[in-house]
Amino acid sequence: MEEWILNTIVRGIALGTPLLWAALGEVYAERSGVVNLGVEGMMVLGAFAAFALAQATGLPYLGLLLAAGAGALAALLHAFVVITLRANQYVSGLALTMFGLGLSALLGRRWEGLPLLSTLPEISLLTYGGLALAAMLWGVLYHTRWGIIIRSAGEAPAAVDTMGLNVFLVRYLAVVFGGALAGVGGGLLSVAYRPSWTEGMTVGLGWIAIAIAIFASWDPLRAVAGAFLFGALFHLSFRLQTWIAPEPLQMMPFAVTILVLALVTRRGGAAQGMPEALGVPYVRGES
Amino acid sequence: MRVIRALLVVVLILTFATAGGAQAKLKVGFIYVGPIGDYGWTHAHDQARKIAEKQLPIETLYVESVPEPQVEPFIDKLIQQGARVVLTTSFGFMDGTLAMAKRYPNIIFGHASGFKRNANMFTYMADFYQVYYLNGLMAGALTKSGKVAYVGAFPIPEVKRHLGAFALGVRAVNPRATVHVRWLFSWFDPAKAKEATEALIAEGADVFAFTEDSPTVVQVASKRNLPSFGHYSPMQRFAPQHVVSGQLVHWERIYIDFLGKVLAGKYNAQNLQNVDYWWLLGEKAVELGGEFGVPINPVWVPRLQAVKVQTREFGQISVYDLVNRRLSQMSRSPVAFDPFTGPIRDRKGRLVVPAGKTMSVLELNTMEWAAPGIVGPWPKEP
Repeated sequence: MEEWILNTIVRGIALGTPLLWAALGEVYAERSGVVNLGVEGMMVLGAFAAFALAQATGLPYLGLLLAAGAGALAALLHAFVVITLRANQYVSGLALTMFGLGLSALLGRRWEGLPLLSTLPEISLLTYGGLALAAMLWGVLYHTRWGIIIRSAGEAPAAVDTMGLNVFLVRYLAVVFGGALAGVGGGLLSVAYRPSWTEGMTVGLGWIAIAIAIFASWDPLRAVAGAFLFGALFHLSFRLQTWIAPEPLQMMPFAVTILVLALVTRRGGAAQGMPEALGVPYVRGES
Repeated sequence: MRVIRALLVVVLILTFATAGGAQAKLKVGFIYVGPIGDYGWTHAHDQARKIAEKQLPIETLYVESVPEPQVEPFIDKLIQQGARVVLTTSFGFMDGTLAMAKRYPNIIFGHASGFKRNANMFTYMADFYQVYYLNGLMAGALTKSGKVAYVGAFPIPEVKRHLGAFALGVRAVNPRATVHVRWLFSWFDPAKAKEATEALIAEGADVFAFTEDSPTVVQVASKRNLPSFGHYSPMQRFAPQHVVSGQLVHWERIYIDFLGKVLAGKYNAQNLQNVDYWWLLGEKAVELGGEFGVPINPVWVPRLQAVKVQTREFGQISVYDLVNRRLSQMSRSPVAFDPFTGPIRDRKGRLVVPAGKTMSVLELNTMEWAAPGIVGPWPKEP
């Protein structure tokens, strides 16, 4: 029994770490009022960037830094399209996902199947770093002026504008920051979780990160719970196959994570709801 | 003016020359279900396409990552681009390919891993079950815990057949060993493959085989210092000390043979109704090994030589020698040995292959029963 509990926790943290980084990024982007469905694309670009650089230099941390840059750059594209050009955020995010998957596949051909000599352990500095980051982001969001500004940009952008602050800049920064974190999350997949590059290797984890951000009601600390819980349940869905039919078991991690987060959120009260202006482009002078 | 006229002549000549050249070459279109970089099934088909293009006077086109229900418009597109032969490389393309074969009676179609044919549509498959049996022999010799692991993609007849052959091999060497299976419900999903492997390690399994289009299982096992068998593409390079062997494919053997016969006029759009390539070790469409030309990783040869088993056919023999004997028996045509020769009882004890009988291709293609020693879920178990 002890082995079961310990092993499940370890697996939960191992898969939860990359998910956590990506989910934290999405929390900040959405808090500022911008939905970014391109997490999968940013993650896969991060995974490729991290792998390529780590492969060339033997320095996985340097790879992760590049992954952050790649994610941020991709997010900047999304920011420009939806904040400046005010295009539909959902469409742009989907396009970013396809763009990221396509571009990384195209550039990554040469790295396909190469071994990585220097890797990070699954539970690394980035795991503790992710936890510390979540705590910090929570503190910033709820207990600093910066947090109020970010949340206001997502709740009532006109109010932020009235205060003489630049809504566009706030949103740009939040989206790009979110992209950098998604890039790191993807990089962790290719240099730590499964040190290898294969095109499309994120296999939907970006979408799970988005789901975690939403069902954690955009709260960084709940995102920690969501990411690790999902990781643990995902592992259990294979461990339990001997006793439970594998077909329904496949859905279990998704269903249980959403259920648990939904229950936690209900107890948190209505104040934890969706940002009012989420998905709505801001136009000065309107509303 | 004269310069322009001269240029025009050159351009015209070039145009006719290239058009003429293109007409002489047979255009062959490939439809892939996955990305060509998947390091598995689609990658192997694409490698074969390149080899065939080098060796035959043909020109090839391909489309990758085609969703199975939407194959028809993609076939249409290839035909519009001039393809005279269209090869679709996933089971799920079967009905769509047949429908298009009926719509385009003058185009030649080929479908991999299915069973529906037409006057202008043949079927082909390079199957691994013999190789899985050989891997099973080695896995049975190498397990210390008596628990061998198998990470399976989908519980469908193809994978069940491979797992069955693998388990029969394990039991032939190690009658008390068990084969523990986990299903991914996906052909390509590194995260699932990783967690399934972790689950099997937690259960005490210490030798690994799998069906999934990434080297994940090999990598995870190698991190724990555990041996594994590669799948589909050369995977020894991912864990040079830990990959014992594996299965490799040579689709080009089938492509070159078939397209060569099309070029020679032997096959055309009227005579394919009964053309089915079910190619195995004997036809060299599949190969034993974790790297081309390396049937067994030299690192593991002493361990396999040290394990001796008693067999009816060869008396006492090392597993290493047994693998080589069985390999040469199955590399002959007709084969001198088939793993699915009765009497075989399934894990519930029912007689599934009577004594003296060998399973037919049809029976292998529709196999649902679980071989003895397999532990774990088995959807649609009879």
